[in-house]
Formats: sequence, structure tokens, C-alpha cells
Amino acid sequence: MKLLTAFKLACFGLWSNRYRVVSAMMGVVIGMFAVIVLTAIAIGVKDTLMKQMGSLGAEQILVMPGRVLDTANGQKDLLSGLTSVPSTLTYEDAQAVENVPNVKTVTPQLETVNFVEYEDKNVQSAIVGTTDQYSRVQHAKLAEGRFFTKEEQQAEAKVVVVGNNIHDSLLGKNEVPDAEEGSSTNVVESKPWWKRILNKILGEEVSAEETSLVGKKIMINEETYEVIGVLAPNATLGSSTDNNVVMPIETALTTTDMKNLTKMIVEASSLDVVDEVDGAVFNALAANHSEIDFSVVKQDQMLGALGKVTSILQVMLVGINATALLISGTGIMNVMVMSVRERTREIGIRKALGATTFEIMMQFFFETLLLCIIGGAVGIGLGYAFIEVWNGNIEIFALVLPMWAVKLALYTSIAIGSLVGIYPALKAASMKPSKALRFE
Amino acid sequence: MIDLKDVRKHYRSGNLKSEVLRGVNLQVKQGEYVAIMGKSGSGKSTMLNLLGTLDVLDKGEYKLAGKSVHKMSRGKRVRLRNEEIGFVFQHFQLIPNLSVFQNVLLPLTYGRKRLGKKKARVLALLDEMGLLDKKNQKPDRLSGGEKQRVAIARALVNEPGLILADEPTGSLDEETTENILSLFDRVHEQGATIVVITHDQEVADRAGRILRLQNGVLV
Repeated sequence: MKLLTAFKLACFGLWSNRYRVVSAMMGVVIGMFAVIVLTAIAIGVKDTLMKQMGSLGAEQILVMPGRVLDTANGQKDLLSGLTSVPSTLTYEDAQAVENVPNVKTVTPQLETVNFVEYEDKNVQSAIVGTTDQYSRVQHAKLAEGRFFTKEEQQAEAKVVVVGNNIHDSLLGKNEVPDAEEGSSTNVVESKPWWKRILNKILGEEVSAEETSLVGKKIMINEETYEVIGVLAPNATLGSSTDNNVVMPIETALTTTDMKNLTKMIVEASSLDVVDEVDGAVFNALAANHSEIDFSVVKQDQMLGALGKVTSILQVMLVGINATALLISGTGIMNVMVMSVRERTREIGIRKALGATTFEIMMQFFFETLLLCIIGGAVGIGLGYAFIEVWNGNIEIFALVLPMWAVKLALYTSIAIGSLVGIYPALKAASMKPSKALRFE
Repeated sequence: MIDLKDVRKHYRSGNLKSEVLRGVNLQVKQGEYVAIMGKSGSGKSTMLNLLGTLDVLDKGEYKLAGKSVHKMSRGKRVRLRNEEIGFVFQHFQLIPNLSVFQNVLLPLTYGRKRLGKKKARVLALLDEMGLLDKKNQKPDRLSGGEKQRVAIARALVNEPGLILADEPTGSLDEETTENILSLFDRVHEQGATIVVITHDQEVADRAGRILRLQNGVLV
């Protein structure tokens, strides 16, 4: 009964001081918002990376430039090979690997940045030279047209498959930055999210007289290429194909100055021979190189390394969240201690009129607790809204908010409220009524 | 109603010990109207705090309505204060963010009576005090006299046996003082025991008995 009275008085106390309560609550709101959004970012990044790495397939082996060191327990320390190093891998290396027993396919990739021209449009893009297996191993689906064939590859055919952004930019569907100013690879910019929303609301779709480049000719480095396909949008973190122009590797070698491979994806004929192929590929490459300036990494090693990166991310997340919650909790406690001080006379009056120490203590405890719960709920709601807006408009990676994170945030706000509510409540309860009544 | 025997109380401030009450003896009968006068610092407020169980005595005995207050636990003293004592303070001591109705209801909130009866009791008292039309107003919208009438209504709401008033007209003008004193007279006529702490002779003269506190003892 006393608890119920204290709870009612706490609700009334908060309502009576609602303007101050709102400002006091801001700390918890911001803290919880940060927790929700940061958690969603961390999980979103992890999920996206895992999905991309996982999509390699267990029988696939990645060959990349630079030496990945071994850790003390024999694991590959992929973090040591993440730095940018000049590649010494060549197409000859890829051909050597093709001859390794139990190798099903080898998909080498050459990459450079160049301008692509179509009529009066000039767009900077990533030119990729590869094999007919590219769309399969890279999970790059076609929006229209077709991919080049093995025959076209061997015949050094001047055909290209363009990424979705490049396609739209060349047709004037996207804003095209000034080619003279473009110095980075990420030159092709899509419309800002607010413009796309506005267009959707107003129903203003791009009026495209020309809706497709398939069959049209484009220019790269003063050479003419026929567009035979367009890749479907694939805006994923780190390895998007949207800004790529893909051509046969033999064509790229003869018409561009590209010589060194950025990576090579090797497929073993079955899961059982992956370890054997891994070693054989390494030996085949080592025979072509004077030093070990390349790395051969299996999918499980990639996932292991990624797990290490995401673990670091999670530890950082826990630290940032704990700091945010500590700050918001301390803020609430300070506000409540100030509130107790400001309401000293009120506490004296209540005690003089028959309030017990327990009732006063519980009233202030419930006030702090409710403040944290309401603030936490508002913060979670705002965080959820932010995630919805992000996922609806930003394609680079999706924010993921699992239910456990919401529950954790809510329980944490209750725990903080309980923890920081104790001190102000005890302070209020311990006041002597005769002294409190005289408080000026 | 009240029986104090050789009550002593001191306060400490650092190493200084200050004897405020030095053996007070007082008997107040049921329904009596008593005024305790004294100069500033004579121990009047300490006396009121002890009588109202807001503070505890160091030595001596205090019986209220036959119950030994000096032997009671804190919880029992709180219950006794809520059920048997009504306070009227000089500065009204109303809670500013509560309405007139809620201020008067407060002692019942901490009591054990049923809510239905509580509301009826508060409204009846506000009607009696001529404050029914102000029941939803906050104290800062009331005049000094109205505030003190709210405080008196709050003191009476639990139907206590003892009304303790500390300088009840100290913050009021002459005309309002007279109205409030008449209200005390009326409450006294209805059977309440009243102890008024004051330094105002005019207020003390309304009581049936006047006691003076000098150097910590009643004379």
C-alpha cells in the first residue's frame, strides 16, 4: 500500500515538475539513442561484411597482393595484410594457378580508374578486367543484357558490362560531377536521399528518352566498346559493383596499361580438396615470385579475421555505450540530488504530516526510475526512427536492430534508474523534518 | 492530553553544547487552549518540535493522549503525528505545486482512511473555511489569509486531538489575524486542544492559559 502511494506521488511529482523533467530526461534520451544507433551500426556493419565474405563460398580461395603474416597459433593475421601494397600478381600467375590440380576455375581481376564517355557525358569509373566467371563469383546479377562469354574473352572482344550507377550517369539519370574536378574513384554520386524522397512524393521520375545503353558504344581511353549488359544495383559495403565497368581480361591487357592483378578468386573442385589446393596454389605462385609478396587465404580464414575485426568493433561499442550510459546516469543523479535539495522544505512538510522515511525514499526512488524508463523509451523510439529513415534512404549498408538490443537498452535504463535513484532517495529520506521545515 | 516531565533538550554545534530546554514540565488537558510565549531563542520552536514529535527529547518523559512518546519507535511516532497532531506554521508550509485540495488531502494520503471518505472530508473542510471555490488553485494564487486557512484545514483534516500552531499570525495583517484567531476560537469550541507558540500578546490573550518560556524552563 505504501509502495503504491509512493508510486502515485512519484508520478504526480514528475507531472508537477514536467518542464524540469523533460530537460533532466534529455541525458537518458541521448544516451539510449546513442546506444541503439551505435549497436545497429555495429551489427549492420558486421552482418554486411559477414554476408559478403560468406558469399565467397567455402570452396573458394582468395589470392591477394601483400603478405599476410601468421600469428603465434598458426592462424592467418589478415589485419597485417589489409594495408595497401603494390601488386606483383600477374595474369601469368593466374594462368599458372589454372594448371594446379583440382582447381575448377580461376577468376583474376585487374582494376584501374578511368573516364567513360558516352555522347556528352563523361564519368569516372572503376575499370575491371576479368573473366566470364566474374558475375558468378562476385554475385553480380544482370539488370539487362548479358555477360561476355569465354569466346569473347579469348577473342579480346571490345565489349563491356556496366555497373548500375555508371549506366544511369551516362544516360543522365544521376548527377554527374565535373570530370575535370573528379580525382577520387568515388566520383559518380547518386542523388541525395532527400531529393530521391522528394521525387518519389512528387512522382517525378526521370524521363528517359534513352532507357538503356545495351547495344550502344562508349569510349574508354579513346577506345570504343560495345555495352552488352548492365549490372543490377549492388550497393554493398566495400565491394559495390555499381561504379564498375567490366571487360574481358584479355581486352583489358591489350587496350589499357593494366598489368597487375588486384585479386584472384580460385575455386577448388570440391570442399574435400580445399586445403590441398590452398597449398598447391601457394607453391605455384611462389615458383613465379622471388619473394612471398602475395597471400593465399581460405574462406574460413577470412571469416576468422573478420570475426576478429568485428570483435574489436563490439568491444569499442561496449566502451562507447558504457560511457554514454555513465554520463546520462550521472546527469540524472545530479538533477535528482538538486531536486531533493530544492524540495527540502516539501520533504519536511510531508514528514510533518505523516510521511514515513520509507514513503519519502520510495517517492524519490520511483521518480528517478520513471525518469530513466521514460527517457530510455523515448531514446529507443528515436533510435528506431533513425534506423528506419537510414534503411529507407541509405543503401551503403543496412542498420540492424535486433530485439535483444532493444530489451538490453530498456533493462539498462531500468538498471541505471535503480542505481542512480538510490542516493537521492536516501538523501531525501534521511532529512530531519524539524530541520527540513526551516530550510531556506 | 499533554504531559511533559523534566524534559531536556540540547543541540551541539561543533564543540559547543547549547542547552535549549532545561527541565520543562507541562500538563495540558483535553480541550484546553494554551499559549506559550517567549523571546526569540528561548526554545519555543524546540518545544513545538518536541510536542509535534518532529524531534526527540534527550531526557524526561512525554505523554500524548496517554501514550509514552519518549519510548516510541520512529514509525510509531510518525503514525501518532499523522493521526493525533495537526500543524499550523507561520509561513503556512504549503507545497507550491499542489492545489489547495491536494494540500489539504496530504495528511490523509499518508493515513489509513478510505479515499471516498477522504475526498468528502477535504471538501467539507474547504467549504467550512470558505475555500471551496479555490480548491483547484495553487497556493501562490492565494492571499496570506487564504493560505493560512488552507493550512488550518490541512491541520484539521485528520481530526487530530492536538493542534500545534507556531506563530500562526506572524505573516498576516491585523484584519486577517483577527479572522484566523476567530477560526482558532471556533476550532477550540468544537473540542480541539490547541497549543499556540507566539511572541504576540494579542494572540496569546485568546488562549485560556498563557505560559512563558525563559532560559529553557516554563514559568
